[in-house]
Amino acid sequence: MISLHTFRSGVPRRCLFAASTVRTYASQTAGNPMLEVFNRKTKHLQKDRAARNVEESRNVDYLKDEVAMRLCERLLDIKRDFPNVLDLGANSCNIARALTTPNLDTTAPEGVITPPLSKKISKITCADTSRALLHRDEDLDFNKEIDIHRDVIADLETLPYQPNTFDAVLSSLSIHWINDLPALLNQVNTILKPDCPFICAMFGGDTLFELRGSMQLADMERRGGVSPHVSPLADVKDVGSLLNRAGFKMLTVDVEDIVVEFPDTFALMQDLQSMGESNAIMHREAGPLSRDVLLANDAIYRALHKEEDAPGIPATFRMIYMIGWKEGKDQPQPLERGSGDVNLKDILGGGDFEKP
Amino acid sequence: MPTKTRPVEKFAKTTAQCSVEAAAYGKCVVADYSSVHKDMCAKEFLRLKDCFLAASKKG
Repeated sequence: MISLHTFRSGVPRRCLFAASTVRTYASQTAGNPMLEVFNRKTKHLQKDRAARNVEESRNVDYLKDEVAMRLCERLLDIKRDFPNVLDLGANSCNIARALTTPNLDTTAPEGVITPPLSKKISKITCADTSRALLHRDEDLDFNKEIDIHRDVIADLETLPYQPNTFDAVLSSLSIHWINDLPALLNQVNTILKPDCPFICAMFGGDTLFELRGSMQLADMERRGGVSPHVSPLADVKDVGSLLNRAGFKMLTVDVEDIVVEFPDTFALMQDLQSMGESNAIMHREAGPLSRDVLLANDAIYRALHKEEDAPGIPATFRMIYMIGWKEGKDQPQPLERGSGDVNLKDILGGGDFEKP
Repeated sequence: MPTKTRPVEKFAKTTAQCSVEAAAYGKCVVADYSSVHKDMCAKEFLRLKDCFLAASKKG
């Protein structure tokens, strides 16, 4: 402000009009108010910081690699070639690595070697915000087996791609950090070519419910109030309508739980941190957790969730897999309501609700 | 180069030495977890913390 005033006082009156046409502030326009839940800058820093410790970061890739594999298995079902693929929120390109793995098809007869999926893909673009994480594994062997482009983008919520660009968009364990999921899905639908799939895996509802609960109890008992430590996550119920709203057709949504055993809660939290998955909620408390709460949390977690003879404690990760297709010509359509001419009751039998 | 132990690893190791106290505290909180309030299990927690402090001095 000060510099503006001194500048203005030196300028003749005529010019002031010209200068005043340049807007220096923007007002909130009506329409689509966005709720910021996650701090994007914090998330970016966490990912960068985690990836800089290369060895540790690779050690904790077990979850992301496993989910990337399972995601790619879903790609096996589509008998089609994909010239141009986008990996949205690629982390350390776990999907590209899974695509180059041979014998991914577990349904193939024993002894038959199935080629890696990368044979069906001419080019994959891996986009993420963290340069350190994205380029972490660029010297590894799998890079030579697939034409891989790494794109560091400024923000995962605004995609810098032209409409009708990609033959498939894949995404694995990334979009649970997105503030405006409906807007992102809309963009994904736009950048896909017609009749092309979006295949995605994300952390959902009950992920880390054990930690969420025990942290709340520890916070309550030690400090008399709660602070958010585990992210709010999308629920399975919501995913279908989200995809629908973004214009996707022929939706498939399914859920899988992966339970990982950890020696204690500290190991769990340490691994989450090394994955770059630590808390990035906007209104979280600044600074580290208090030692009292950590100590209380470990005891409560054990009391609630540890099995009698198990050596460690379980942590549940709930994965939501979703597949949606962009609308296209010649795509199979559901028949019109009421156009069926066979009664299902005749085929399946029964169907009466009256008690015998 | 000697391997560096991260503070959290030391914290975890020390906590592991107080499993009896931790179990008592955990049991106290879980016994009535729908109505937890501040310092509900203060006595059990102090015992756990005393054990933790003593163990961290030893280690």
